[in-house]
Amino acid sequence: MLKTRGEKTFVAAITTLLLLFSFIAIVPLLSVISISFSSKSAVVQNLVSIWPKQFTLDSWSYILDRPDLWKSFFLTLGSTVIGTALALLITALLAYPLSKVEFRWGGVIMVGVVIAMIFKAPIIPYFLTVRGIGLYNNPLVLILPHILNPFNLIIMRSFFKEFPKELEEAAFLEGSGYFRMLFQFVLPLSKAVLATLALFYAVVIWNQFQTPLLFLQNTDWFPLQMKIRQFITDDNIIMPGAASTVDLNYNERTLRSATVIFAMIPIIAVYPFLQRYFVKGAMIGSIKG
Amino acid sequence: MGRVNLQRMKVYWPLYAMAIPGILFLIIFKYIPLAGSVIAFKDYSVFKGFIDSPWVGFKYFHKLFDYPDFVRVFGNTLLLGLLRIVLVFPIPVLLALMINEIRKSALKKGVQTALYIPHFLSWVIVSGIVFDIFSLSGLFNIVLGWFGHEPILAMQDSAYFRPVYVLTSIWRDAGWGTVVYMAAISAIDPQLYESAMMDGASRFKQIRHITFPLLLPTVLVLFLLEIGNFLDLGFDQVFNLLTPMTYSVGDILDTYVYRTGIEQAQYSFATAVGLFQSIIGFILVYIFNRLSKKVSDGGVW
Repeated sequence: MLKTRGEKTFVAAITTLLLLFSFIAIVPLLSVISISFSSKSAVVQNLVSIWPKQFTLDSWSYILDRPDLWKSFFLTLGSTVIGTALALLITALLAYPLSKVEFRWGGVIMVGVVIAMIFKAPIIPYFLTVRGIGLYNNPLVLILPHILNPFNLIIMRSFFKEFPKELEEAAFLEGSGYFRMLFQFVLPLSKAVLATLALFYAVVIWNQFQTPLLFLQNTDWFPLQMKIRQFITDDNIIMPGAASTVDLNYNERTLRSATVIFAMIPIIAVYPFLQRYFVKGAMIGSIKG
Repeated sequence: MGRVNLQRMKVYWPLYAMAIPGILFLIIFKYIPLAGSVIAFKDYSVFKGFIDSPWVGFKYFHKLFDYPDFVRVFGNTLLLGLLRIVLVFPIPVLLALMINEIRKSALKKGVQTALYIPHFLSWVIVSGIVFDIFSLSGLFNIVLGWFGHEPILAMQDSAYFRPVYVLTSIWRDAGWGTVVYMAAISAIDPQLYESAMMDGASRFKQIRHITFPLLLPTVLVLFLLEIGNFLDLGFDQVFNLLTPMTYSVGDILDTYVYRTGIEQAQYSFATAVGLFQSIIGFILVYIFNRLSKKVSDGGVW
């Protein structure tokens, strides 16, 4: 395929550049990982760049012994699992009627959905409304505002619309109603779109920061991102009584690094297996949007 | 007629029942807040609510322009928005064109995975990483040290906030931004390349005369969407990267609304700021959509 020397140089140059970019993309992660596994003395002497020096697990064992971090972790994990399941349910329940011509509210609701997609809810009236329905300092606020996304709804609706009519008609003749149709025929055949949308919802709920910042004052209900922010910004929280601990093998910086990596692990762990779903989803999104 | 409707409902009621939770959600979490924007023209009181609070007309909009704070914040927002359009937006296009030139699929996958990963990290985590990298003994200053340069505290210096904003935007999202373009490129008819090669067109010429022109409509659509979000710089990103030392250049409309509205409870004033932001955004989309129609007789709608 490559004929001239010029072309070979061209491709080689591009490959080198892209490898360099990939390196730049992961170097910050390597740096933080290295610090979390290095000793305090190596870190304060500026010895650590992208490989651990004076390897130690002390920062990690300190972090993993923090009950408050685990509490936030499980709160976030729980709200992500429950929230994603609930979001798929609510989205499917609205997307299904919207994919049916016999549903007479369909046209009006679709306009409403598109408007909701274009205009973001203004933050202050949103805050006042959500506080008004009792979600202030209520952990349900980690779930309820995320259970329907207009964009995801439209993706699911277009998917449902492509179902062959004959299949449903046969089922209707056997006497199934719409609920059975949806749960026994349509959803089991929609695994691909459900997986993609589940990822979208899960990432939003796992990574959410603004919602808990607005609504959760009580630190008992802090989800992981809020906890991490506390750890990053407040030395007294990550390492209470720091001054009296000179002989330790960790400091605020190694602990912060371990915390940041800790919060990243679930995403990095599942990402390689799910990348194709993410990419597929982004492509569907770009075509519809 | 009434009987016919009743008959219909006997069969179709499940469809209506299913839709109810979703409709309620849209009303509560989207439409009531949207309608609640009226408090920008009212003296909002928590006890009276959206409806019964007294009207005050444009009082808060006049107040807006009297605040030197607001003018500075608006300027910051415009400047960062402009930097994002000029410096951040083109990167995924270039990256996609480059990735497309790699024909070895294992290498291509590896590069894509590395470039995509940062996108899935929250801004809290990204800021944690960035603050560490730019700390006194962080990687950035270690590398500067190799070249005998004095350490720079970039996160605590207002001169560096804008570069940090641009770099973090690129680092986190530029790789992921290529997905859409890669999809558009893969939809290009391979025969075009074949006949170009028959004519002896080099790889570079193929990019210039086939891939890039055919990618352009996608670029234009995304550009318009980007313009629509011109003032929407990402609350999480800016909020997490800001320090008191960088307020003067890094405070934007979103963080300003948060501070005045949520922290200081000036609900009506902050809503006016938010409404102003939406209106400017809408005008920008309108203007650019008109322009793009003139240029390409396309446009988004």
